[in-house]
Amino acid sequence: MRVAAIIAALVALAVLPRVVSPYFVTLMLPAFAYGIALLGFNLLFGYTGLLSFGHALFVAIGAYSAAVMTAKLGVKSFELIVLGAAFAAVLVAIPVGLLSVRYVRIFFGILTLAFGMLFHSFLFKFYDITGGDTGLRVLRPLLLGFAFQDLDKTAFLVGPFYYYCLALLALLGFVMWRIVGSPFGLHLMAIRENRRKAEYLGVRARLFCLLAFAISAFYCAVGGVMLAIGIGQADPELAYWTHSGELVFMTVLGGFANFFGPLIGAFSYIFLKSQLMSITEYWRFVMGVILVLIVVLFPRGLVGVAQTAWARIKRS
Amino acid sequence: MQRSRRKILKAVGGAGAMLAAQPYLSFPAIAQAGPLRIGIIAPKSGIAGTIGECGLRGCQFAVERINAGGGIAGRKIELIVEEETNPKDSIERLRKLVLQDKVDCVQGIISSGVSLAMGPAAEEMKALTIFWDGTTQDGVKETMPNPHYVFRSTDNECEAVMASLLVVKHWKGQFKTVAGINPDYSYGRNNFAAFQALLKKFGVQHEVVAEQWPKVGTTDLTSHVAALKAAKPDLVFSSLLFADLPIFMRTAHGAGLMDGRTKFAFPAAGFQHTALKKSFTPEGMIFGHNTLYFDLPNASALQKQFVQEYESKYKDYPHWEADRAYFAMQVYKAGVEAAYKAKNAWPSQDDVIGAMEGVKIDSLGGPGQMRKDHIADQTFYQGITTHNNRYDFPTLGQIDTMYSDQLQKPPGADFWKWIETAQIKL
Amino acid sequence: MNAFFDLLLGGVFHAAVLFLVAAGLQLVFGVQKIVNLACGSFYALGAYFGVTAVKWAIAAGAAPYLFLPVLIVAGIAIGSIIGPPIEALLRTVYRRDEAFQLLLTFALVLMFQDALRFFFGANPQQLGDTAMVYGTLSAGSVLVPTYNALVIIASVAIAFGLGAFLQRTRFGRILRATAENREMSEAMGVNVRRVYATVFTLGTILGTVGGALVVPTAAASLDMPVELVVEAFAVVVIGGLGSMRGALIGALIVGIMRALAIRYYAELEMLAIYVVVIAVLIARPAGLFGKPVE
Repeated sequence: MRVAAIIAALVALAVLPRVVSPYFVTLMLPAFAYGIALLGFNLLFGYTGLLSFGHALFVAIGAYSAAVMTAKLGVKSFELIVLGAAFAAVLVAIPVGLLSVRYVRIFFGILTLAFGMLFHSFLFKFYDITGGDTGLRVLRPLLLGFAFQDLDKTAFLVGPFYYYCLALLALLGFVMWRIVGSPFGLHLMAIRENRRKAEYLGVRARLFCLLAFAISAFYCAVGGVMLAIGIGQADPELAYWTHSGELVFMTVLGGFANFFGPLIGAFSYIFLKSQLMSITEYWRFVMGVILVLIVVLFPRGLVGVAQTAWARIKRS
Repeated sequence: MQRSRRKILKAVGGAGAMLAAQPYLSFPAIAQAGPLRIGIIAPKSGIAGTIGECGLRGCQFAVERINAGGGIAGRKIELIVEEETNPKDSIERLRKLVLQDKVDCVQGIISSGVSLAMGPAAEEMKALTIFWDGTTQDGVKETMPNPHYVFRSTDNECEAVMASLLVVKHWKGQFKTVAGINPDYSYGRNNFAAFQALLKKFGVQHEVVAEQWPKVGTTDLTSHVAALKAAKPDLVFSSLLFADLPIFMRTAHGAGLMDGRTKFAFPAAGFQHTALKKSFTPEGMIFGHNTLYFDLPNASALQKQFVQEYESKYKDYPHWEADRAYFAMQVYKAGVEAAYKAKNAWPSQDDVIGAMEGVKIDSLGGPGQMRKDHIADQTFYQGITTHNNRYDFPTLGQIDTMYSDQLQKPPGADFWKWIETAQIKL
Repeated sequence: MNAFFDLLLGGVFHAAVLFLVAAGLQLVFGVQKIVNLACGSFYALGAYFGVTAVKWAIAAGAAPYLFLPVLIVAGIAIGSIIGPPIEALLRTVYRRDEAFQLLLTFALVLMFQDALRFFFGANPQQLGDTAMVYGTLSAGSVLVPTYNALVIIASVAIAFGLGAFLQRTRFGRILRATAENREMSEAMGVNVRRVYATVFTLGTILGTVGGALVVPTAAASLDMPVELVVEAFAVVVIGGLGSMRGALIGALIVGIMRALAIRYYAELEMLAIYVVVIAVLIARPAGLFGKPVE
C-alpha cells in the first residue's frame, strides 16, 4: 500500500507541470534538489544521530563542481557532472569525516560548522580559482546526451530537466530506502541510540559514521549540482553556515524521524519561504517563529503532526 | 499508516497546486489599459541594505513624479518590490516577478555577484531588465557578451579610473610608495588593479608596500590599519565603500595615519559620505561621489529639489544609488514613450529595447544616456575634500566632472586592454 | 618595534572583545550544556542598543566623556532584559536532545536578524567620533586611542572578576557544582532553575556588553550576528568548551593570529584561524583547557 501511495505521489509530481504555472514548476526544482540533499543529510542526522551544521559545504562542492566542469572543463554531460561532483564531495568528506566523527553531539556540530566556513572562506579568498564573491558560471548540461537546443532555459527547466530531476529523486530515494533498511542502516540507528553499547556489541561506530558521512556528502553534492544548474551560478554563499542551518531547518520541519520527512520538509520550506518573501520583508522572523514552534511543540515535524492527526481521526 | 498519511498530504498538495495554478489559467487581461508593472529587486538587509534603501527612495521619487505627470505614455507605474539577497534566492524572486507577476520591466540589483547570475537568467527569460549597479569586469565577458534584454549601469570601475586619474593629475611626483586597502571581492580587486594599471600607463613610478583585503563587512580594522602604518605609504588607495569605510577612517585617524604625511584616495567614499565626520576625516583627500554629488553648486533644479525633499523626509543626504535608480526608471520611460510615438500603438518589448538603445535622458546627477551595447553613460563627480561647509562631514572643495565615455571602455573593447591602449585624458 | 606594538595592541583589542562573547558562551555551555548560536545576536543587540543609549544620553545633555559608563550600563541593561525571557524559552528544551537546543538558538538568530532590522533600521549605526573624546595615548610613535586601552582593561577586569566570582563566592561554587553534576546539586537543595536563569542572563550580559564596548570603534551592523558566531566558536573550540581560561587564551590566540595574518599574509586572515582550530583539534580534541567529552 505504501508503494501505491508513493507511485501516486510520483504521478502527481509528473503531471504537475501541465497543471501549474511555470513559476511554480521552477520552484519545484530546488525542492527536488534539497529533497535529495536532505535524504543524505538525514541519514546522518535522523538515522545516525549526528547533527552537522556544515553540510552546506557539500552542496557547495556539488555546485562548484558543476561550474568547473561545464564552464571550465567543457564537460556537458549531466551524468558525468553528477558523478564528478559526488566523487569530489566524497573525496572531501573522507578527511573531514575522519576528523569529525571522533566527536559526538555538540562538538560534531561545531566542528562541521568550522569546516563549512573554512570552505566558504576558501571560495571567497581564492578569487582567481573560485571567482570569489561572484562565483562561477554553470552552463546548461546535456541530459542523456540531448541538448534540447530549441528550448529556452525556462522551457528546458520546466520540461526535460524537471522530469530528469524527478526521476533522479525517485532513484536516489529508492537507493536510500534500501540503505536505511539494510543491516548498515540498523547499525547506524544502534549507534544513534547508544554509541558505547553499539561498540560493545561489535559495531564499528567510527567507520560506520564515516560511511554515513560520505554517503550524506554524496547526496548533498548531487542536490548541489541540481541547484546550480537551475540558478546558472555557483556562489560562495551556498557554503555559509546559515545555509547549513537551513538544511537542518528543512529536515526538522518535515520530520527527521521519518524517511519521507525530509522530502516533505524540502517542499514545504521552499514553498513557505517563497510565499513569505512575497508577503513580508520580515520573513526571516516568521521563519524563526515557525522553527521555534516546531522545536518546542512539534518536534516530529509535519509528518509528526499528520501522524498525530491521523491517529486522532482513527480513534474517533 | 504511511499510505494514508501520504494520501492526505498529497490531497492537500493537490489543492494547493490548483490554487496556485490560478494566475496561469486566467485570461490575459486587456493589459494595455492597466498600470505598467515594474518589478524592483533591491537589498533590504545586510551590508547593502542601506544602499538598497537609498536606491528605492530614488526610484520612488522617480515614480511619484512620473505618475503625477500622467505616467508613462498615459499608463501609471505600479511597483512590485522584492528583496535582493544571494544569487540563488534573488533569481527565484526574478522568476516570480517575470513568470507569475508578469511585470513589464525589472529594475534593481546592486551586488556584483547577484548581477552576474541574474544577467543570463534574465536573458534566458527574455525579461527586460535594467541593473542599478553591480557588474564589475570579471565574468561579464563570459556571462553577458551581447545582452539583448539586459541593460547595465556604468562599469563599476569608472570611479576607480577617475580617482586614479585625479591622483595622477593632482599628486604626480608627490608620492613614491603606495598602499591599498580594498574590500575583498571582485569590486575591490578590480579597482585596485585598475589603479595600478593607470599609474603604470602614465608612467608614475611607484612601489606597492602594502595590500590589505579586509573581508567585506569587517568591523574591526585595527590590525589592518596597523599593518598599513608599518608599511609607511605615501599614498593609500581604498575602494572601501560599506560601513567599513567610516570605521577605517576613524581607526586610521586614531592610529595617526591622518596627520598629513599620507595622501588618500577613496573612489567610493560617496556611499558613506554622511558618516565620515569632519573630526576624523581631514581635508585634502580625493573622494568619489560617482553619479550624484548632492552638494553640487551648479546642480540642476531637479537635483536640488530631490536633495531638498530627501533631506526633509529622511533627515539625510542622498548618494548615487538614488541616481542610478532614477536613471533606470527614466531610461525605461524614455524608451517606452519613444517607441510608442514611433509605432502609434503600444510598443512590444523589442520595440522598447530598440528605443532604449542610444536614448539620452537627464538623471538626478546630470545628463546621461544608454549606449547601444546596453551599458549606461553618466556624469561622474569626484574631488578634493574640504571642511568649509555647513555640515558635520566634509564635502568637495575642488570638484572634477567627467563623463563616463572617458572612464569606461567603448563598446566591444576589453577593459584591461582599453586602459593600456586608449587615449585617456587627465 | 613600534610596528610590532601596534600589531600586538590591535590583536589584543580584538581579543578583549572576543573574550567577552566567548566567556558568555562558555558560561552558558559549562552550566547548561547549551551552545548558543545567538551569541552573535546578543552582541549585535548590545551594539545597537549602546549606540541608541549614547545618542540619547548626549541629546539629554550628558557630558561626552560619560559615554563609556553609559555603554556599560546600556549593555548590562539590555542583557538583563533580554536574558530571562529567552532563557524561559530555552527552558522548554533543556531535557531534550542537544540538536533541538542548537536549533532553537538558530531560530533565535533568524528572529533577531529581522527584529534588529525592524527596531534599528538597515543603516549601520555608528557613534561617529564620540570615542575620540578620550584622546590617544602615545609612547614613541605608537598611538593607541585611549578608548581601546580602556576596553582592554575593562575586559581584563571582567575576566578577573568572573574568575573570582566563580572561585571565591558562594554562588560561584554553586554554579560550578551545578555544572559538574546537576542532579547532585538539586539533591543538595540548590534551586537549579534559578541558577540556570541567572547563568544564562549573565552569559547574555557578557555578550551585550561586548557588543556595546566594541561599537565606538566599529559599527553596529546587521551581519554582526552571523559573522561573529564563527570567530566566537573558533575561540571556544581552541580554548576548550566550558573553560573560562580557555576563553581567555583562545581569544588571545585568535586575536593575535588574526593580527599577524593581516600584517604578514593578508590573504589568509580567517583561513589561518581555521587552520589553528583544526590543528588544535587534532592534537588536543577537547581544546586546550576543555574536558574530554565522551
